[in-house]
Amino acid sequence: MGILLGGLYSLVALGLSLVFGVMKLINVAHGDLVLMSTYLAFSMMTSFGLDPILSLVIGMPVMFVIGFAIQRYLLNRAFKISMEAPLIIAFGISIILQNFYQIVWTPLSRGLTPSYAMLSFSIGGLNVPLVYGLDFAVSLIVMLALREFMKRTYVGQAINAASQDRGAAQLMGINANRVYAFAFAIAMVLAAIAGVFLGLTFPFTPQSGVSFLIIAFGVVVLGGLGSIAGTFIGGLVMGLAQTLGGYFIGTGAQMFVAYLIVFIVLGVRPQGIFGR
Amino acid sequence: MKVNPFRLRGGLAPLLIATVLLALFPLIGVPQNWLLYLFLFFIYLALANMWNWLAGYCGLISLCQPAFIGIGGYTLALMTWVGLPIWQGLIAGAIIAALFAVIISIPVFRLSGIYFAVGTLIVPELLRLFFLNWRPVGGLLYGKGAGYAVKGATTIPATDIYWLTLIICIGSVLMMRFILRSNLGLGLAAIRDNASSAASSGINVFKLKFYSFVGSAAITGLAGAAFYIQQGFIEPTSAFNVRWTMVLMLATVIGGVRLEEGPAVGAIIVVFLHFLLARYGGVSLLIQGVILVFIMLIAPQGIMGSVRRALSHRTPHLRRQPARTRG
Amino acid sequence: METPVLSVAGVTKHFGGLTAVKNFSFDVQPGEAIGLMGPNGAGKTTLVNIIYGIYKPDSGKIRFRGSNIGGLSPHRICHLGIARTYQIPQPFATLTALQNIIVAAIYGRGLSRPDAEKTAHEILEQLDLSPKKNTVTLDMDEVALKRLELARVLATRPSLLLIDEVAAGLTEEELPRILEILRNIRQAGVTILLIEHVMKVMTEAVDRIIVMDRGEKIAEGNPGDVMKDRKVIEAYLGEPE
Ligand SMILES: Nc1ncnc2c1ncn2[C@@H]1O[C@H](COP(=O)(O)OP(=O)(O)O)[C@@H](O)[C@H]1O
Ligand SMILES: [Mg+2]
Repeated sequence: MGILLGGLYSLVALGLSLVFGVMKLINVAHGDLVLMSTYLAFSMMTSFGLDPILSLVIGMPVMFVIGFAIQRYLLNRAFKISMEAPLIIAFGISIILQNFYQIVWTPLSRGLTPSYAMLSFSIGGLNVPLVYGLDFAVSLIVMLALREFMKRTYVGQAINAASQDRGAAQLMGINANRVYAFAFAIAMVLAAIAGVFLGLTFPFTPQSGVSFLIIAFGVVVLGGLGSIAGTFIGGLVMGLAQTLGGYFIGTGAQMFVAYLIVFIVLGVRPQGIFGR
Repeated sequence: MKVNPFRLRGGLAPLLIATVLLALFPLIGVPQNWLLYLFLFFIYLALANMWNWLAGYCGLISLCQPAFIGIGGYTLALMTWVGLPIWQGLIAGAIIAALFAVIISIPVFRLSGIYFAVGTLIVPELLRLFFLNWRPVGGLLYGKGAGYAVKGATTIPATDIYWLTLIICIGSVLMMRFILRSNLGLGLAAIRDNASSAASSGINVFKLKFYSFVGSAAITGLAGAAFYIQQGFIEPTSAFNVRWTMVLMLATVIGGVRLEEGPAVGAIIVVFLHFLLARYGGVSLLIQGVILVFIMLIAPQGIMGSVRRALSHRTPHLRRQPARTRG
Repeated sequence: METPVLSVAGVTKHFGGLTAVKNFSFDVQPGEAIGLMGPNGAGKTTLVNIIYGIYKPDSGKIRFRGSNIGGLSPHRICHLGIARTYQIPQPFATLTALQNIIVAAIYGRGLSRPDAEKTAHEILEQLDLSPKKNTVTLDMDEVALKRLELARVLATRPSLLLIDEVAAGLTEEELPRILEILRNIRQAGVTILLIEHVMKVMTEAVDRIIVMDRGEKIAEGNPGDVMKDRKVIEAYLGEPE
């Protein structure tokens, strides 16, 4: 159970990790951007009866464009201003989005509930909701696809090069700003997928972005940055730890346990999270 | 003669006059409504000063200030429940917030720069969930989870609260003034300019930042406690809310980060914004967020930074950041 | 023999595949001035960084007056009485020259503010920086910054001074003055480890030279002998200096 959830968590973390890898920015608006996709799917479901997963056909390109624009028009400029500017701007975006959701969709707790959301199957006597299985399968597929993408396409290679060495990438004639914008846009596509499956799995409110962010951050802390496999393992550990913690302390405190894990890991890892 | 940012700027006289005037306001029949906005201004300015201390002078982008505010408020509320007087609750709020800062500094100080920010972001969330799940006997009064009334708060005249927060606010201004001219301020300036050079000049970088973090937490806790005397009750979701971070960040950024007078100018504008947008609820925060992003892009040095630049043509380097090895 | 002021014993440091410092050993006796030279990339700065606790060596020991200082953080090392300058000057850019030195006097030496100011004025005078004392260091030129670098670390009153290339980039006319400054520092009883490219400074300012190439010690002795050493000449072949 925890493992299946872990797949979902690593999916949420993937975009955060990608953005960090390329531009050394921890995007504190990541959770809220993930949530944007969740709300998009919610609206398409309630207004047009579109299936949340199918709605990704629209959601992914929309998020791609939004991501590209945020990077291009806000963050790329911010990088030139000071070290703190991108962080403060990302924080501002986060607040803007939270309140935007609150105005448009009200503070009520919502859920993505197509017919199959209630189904479940059983493995070895354990009753598992279908969406949990889906979460896991999709996150595996997305990660493999991302790996192939980074290896095989020009954009992927450019992103890789830029994340390894900014100077070298520029020498190779790669336009850093464009690469950043693409990387952010791709991170948003990943966020789009994560958002829909999160919405299928958990109820959400306009404030859920913060918890998405902290979980993603925790995964990244646990699994190490930049590597897709590391993110996956981090996600699994996080999912398991949270489920076990919830089991022993009570499900009411599940989120609390998750945060505590992130925080304790921060304190225990001697090098600081990304070791230097 | 070259200007330097750490020289004394203006005397204490203007501050003194402003303080006396503000202190007289309740006595000369200034409308209650105005006093309320001034009360907010005092709280915001104290909070923004404390954030500027960390973000502007220590390079610590702390996103856990709501944790100190909430802890200050909760300490006060709980102290009134065990029958202690309000003023003791206030002081206890500051002390407990400082102690809490000591505890969380163990993990968060391992993080540098931007990771520090995200590490601290978790703290208020952690506390919010903790308090939501915490229901000691008899504690459930308001809202969901551990809502508490501040006992006896209703018996305190509004003017007393006004004066109290005025004192805290002016205290924070004087404190910043003192810090920036003290050895601590000089050491922090050195660290910000060049951390490795500071270390090899004998500065214990960790220690100075740690003291600042704890000091900032104490005053933030005190201001938080004072705020909840006025509110009369405290409840986790508002106490540990990111909108606090938003407000104090906005005030500092609008006025000018790393400028002594920045938070004061910014806090005036933020309070004015609150006044203008009071009726719109959620839209108000949204607009504040837009302003924050906008200011950061257009005038990252804030209003006072722009003013200083216009006056002297010299301050632009304040924004330029020499190589820094650790945050 | 006395306990050496500084004793570097078998220090090795790798950066990935590169061995920047390889099993390096030497002692510095009290009052001595030692020169450390070697082509660019030889590992001299890395060695200073290791002594100063910036990098942790992969193996080997650093002793100061007989006690192990490995693993101490830079500010502790400063408080022990070791100071270092940076090859590329690292001033506190938004502070004035005077304030730069006051900081070091307060934190490196524990002086009170008024005493620190007095000391700072003296040191500025000593290094001909008095006219620039109120200049914000961002606006200072490279030559002045090199002096300031020296001034700042002197304010911590070291007993051992590690100087990373103070004369590089100076003109012929400026050299005698820097030599004089170095002599004055020595006369005050400071032990010096001088890293330098400029031969003239080397030969005139130090008692003994250690030559480093690709992380290894290739020669050691008095300046005259070392300059004639075949290995040293080879190491410098192809190097403009
Ligand atoms: N932090 C570092 N990471 C990787 N390589 C380094 C680092 N510092 C120095 N080096 C390498 O170690 C070698 C020695 O450098 P350095 O000590 O600066 O030489 P020198 O001061 O003698 O010119 C060089 O090849 C340099 O590229
Ligand atoms: Mg060097």
